[in-house]
Amino acid sequence: MSGKRKISLSEDELVLALRNREKIAIEALYDMYSSSLYGVICRIVIDIPTSEDVLQETFVKIWNSFSGYSAEKGRLFTWMVNIARNLAIDKIRSKDFKNQNKNQDLENNVTFIDEQKNTVYKPELLGIKELVTTLKPEQRSILDLVYFKGYTHVEAADELGIPLGTIKTRLRMAIQQLRKHFN
Amino acid sequence: MEDIKAYIESGILELYVLGDVSREEKLQVEEMAKNHQVIRAELNEIERSLELYAEENSIEPSVNLRSRVLNSLLTNLGDDNTFNKKPVEINENVIALPDQETGGFYKYAFAACLALLVASSVALVSMYNRLQESNTQLAALQLDKQHFANRVNLMDEQLLVFRDASFKFLKLQATPKAPAGANITIAWSPVKKKVMIDMETMKMPVNDKNHQYQLWALVNGKPVDLGVFDKNPDSTNMKEMKPIALADAFAVTLEPRGGSTTPTMDEMMVIGKF
Repeated sequence: MSGKRKISLSEDELVLALRNREKIAIEALYDMYSSSLYGVICRIVIDIPTSEDVLQETFVKIWNSFSGYSAEKGRLFTWMVNIARNLAIDKIRSKDFKNQNKNQDLENNVTFIDEQKNTVYKPELLGIKELVTTLKPEQRSILDLVYFKGYTHVEAADELGIPLGTIKTRLRMAIQQLRKHFN
Repeated sequence: MEDIKAYIESGILELYVLGDVSREEKLQVEEMAKNHQVIRAELNEIERSLELYAEENSIEPSVNLRSRVLNSLLTNLGDDNTFNKKPVEINENVIALPDQETGGFYKYAFAACLALLVASSVALVSMYNRLQESNTQLAALQLDKQHFANRVNLMDEQLLVFRDASFKFLKLQATPKAPAGANITIAWSPVKKKVMIDMETMKMPVNDKNHQYQLWALVNGKPVDLGVFDKNPDSTNMKEMKPIALADAFAVTLEPRGGSTTPTMDEMMVIGKF
């Protein structure tokens, strides 16, 4: 993880290299974005082997449909995270995955829980704790439902029993809060 | 400008960035962003903050996954480069050989081998039979040869008797006891002390099982036993009797089988004197 030299390019360079189908672009893409995308995928899919599959599918799809991305419409990561989230949601709604989940035995669950704990307490995630204080609990729950759990804002409103308008406002407030935090 | 502010505050831009808008809303937002720099900037800010938020919540995938994902993409890349060209037809000059041919060859070869095997077996059996036949014939011939050799030896011996000047021949004539015409010819060599009876020319009645003829030599009036013999119609040889150097006369009596120590004079059949 840390021993390997990670390749990093500016977003413009990366987009150009991807467009030219250069080998280095693939490595840079993975090194720059795999952990962020994996964070989103893992929170939706939960099961680790399936999450790894989805991450792989995500990169394959990014690579194969890169011509569909245009910089004028938004940032590269926004485009990619939407691909990852859609693939992850498709996966957990697929018949195979539902059956597989039913059949998951106790042993797997134990290791799975352990791994989840490890993930949660990873040192690089310590920033979340600051965020927790930054975001109000009601802002955070809505943002995480939509961003990390793949809910639509309509589903989130149902889930939380809150009117749609309020959801939208809180979502906006949460993101405003993030902007403030990162600035 | 108020409209734009309200548009921003409606939260639609956040939902757009989160991918949670309908197709119409999406097109609308993209149209607005193109026309209004403020909205473009606002969108960029939302995207950046969510990107950073995702980065804060990132989870490092396992190390192995990197090579797995990169390999699947590089294979893809390789495929793109390799297979964009039209595949060259390479089997134009290749003449397809029907694979039946080799299989057929072995089939026929096998059949031929089987036929050969059967033929050899038959030949072997017939050769064996002929060999057995030859062996039998050979044994018969050898027996014949032995027989003739014996006969030749005998003839030689008899011829020697006739050639030898020391042999005297004596015809023993029938007594009144014997049937008329009965006689026995003997050859005697006093030098070699040999006495022989010619069985072929012997004319005597056939003796029964309990009796045998006995030859006697009379030396100074006393009978000396020279051995017994049978009258066998098939006999053709000369029978050598016991040796004797001196004799005045020879006589044959019919005695009980095995012979007697003294001759039974009543049963004297033939007699001859020198």
